[in-house]
Amino acid sequence: MRTKVIVFLLAAAVAVSAGALLLRGGQTENPVARITRDGVLLEEIDLGRVAKPYSLALEDESGGNTVLVEPGRIRVTEASCPDQVCVNQGWIDSGAVPIICLPNKLMIEIVGGGGDLDGTAG
Amino acid sequence: MTERRANGAGRITRLALLTAIALTIFLVEAQLPAVTVIPGIKLGLANIVTVYAMFALGPGDALLVLAGRVFLGAVFSGQMMTLLYSGAGGLLSWCALCLLRRGLSRERIWLASPIAALCHNLGQLLAAAAVMKTWAVMAYLPYLTIAGVIAGLFTGVAAQKLIGRLEKLKK
Repeated sequence: MRTKVIVFLLAAAVAVSAGALLLRGGQTENPVARITRDGVLLEEIDLGRVAKPYSLALEDESGGNTVLVEPGRIRVTEASCPDQVCVNQGWIDSGAVPIICLPNKLMIEIVGGGGDLDGTAG
Repeated sequence: MTERRANGAGRITRLALLTAIALTIFLVEAQLPAVTVIPGIKLGLANIVTVYAMFALGPGDALLVLAGRVFLGAVFSGQMMTLLYSGAGGLLSWCALCLLRRGLSRERIWLASPIAALCHNLGQLLAAAAVMKTWAVMAYLPYLTIAGVIAGLFTGVAAQKLIGRLEKLKK
């Protein structure tokens, strides 16, 4: 019966996703933030060695983002796009989910030495 | 399935009406504040119209309503970039609905919606991965899968009720 197949597929998809989220968790040992635009590495910041907070302005012809760096964490504080998805996402401090600004093709991901999945799982 | 064949002006009017309803739902929903920090998690209420169009009218009409809504949605929200993501997601979920249209009985139409929601999210992420040139965006997939199934069940039940009610109306 096809109904059962669909229910099974949905249940499996949810179970696998929940499992992936549970297994992934945990802090990244030595968080290093990699900021890339259009696949090109712009900055690599060792968040463990940030002494005091500072901000970075990342501009290009398509628009700009302002990034705030603090010891152990990083966020986007300003974006040139109307939806502000990356700003609303707030701080990230582990490799769980990268911050992505689709309009400006900017991505901030945290990679680290802690045997983590490096935020690129899936 | 309840294929009501309408031609010419009747069909255009019905498609225009459905597109307007879907677009209104889409734009109103876009005004709601985000529930979570994960981008892309939303109810997807406009999906109700797509599922209704697919099962009550057919794949061709469903695609026209979907394409109209996606294009006008991008125009009215002022973000043409979303055309790419919604387009990829919409197309993939339309393909899934086409397959499900044959396989599901009349009482199980609501099951099509979570599958369509999952395909929509997957298509969006694939488009995002292509634009960003990295697979790192797939880190969102587990969140979007769980959210998509929940939201899809909700819109699916809504679409099922809608199809039932509109059947009665026709008699």
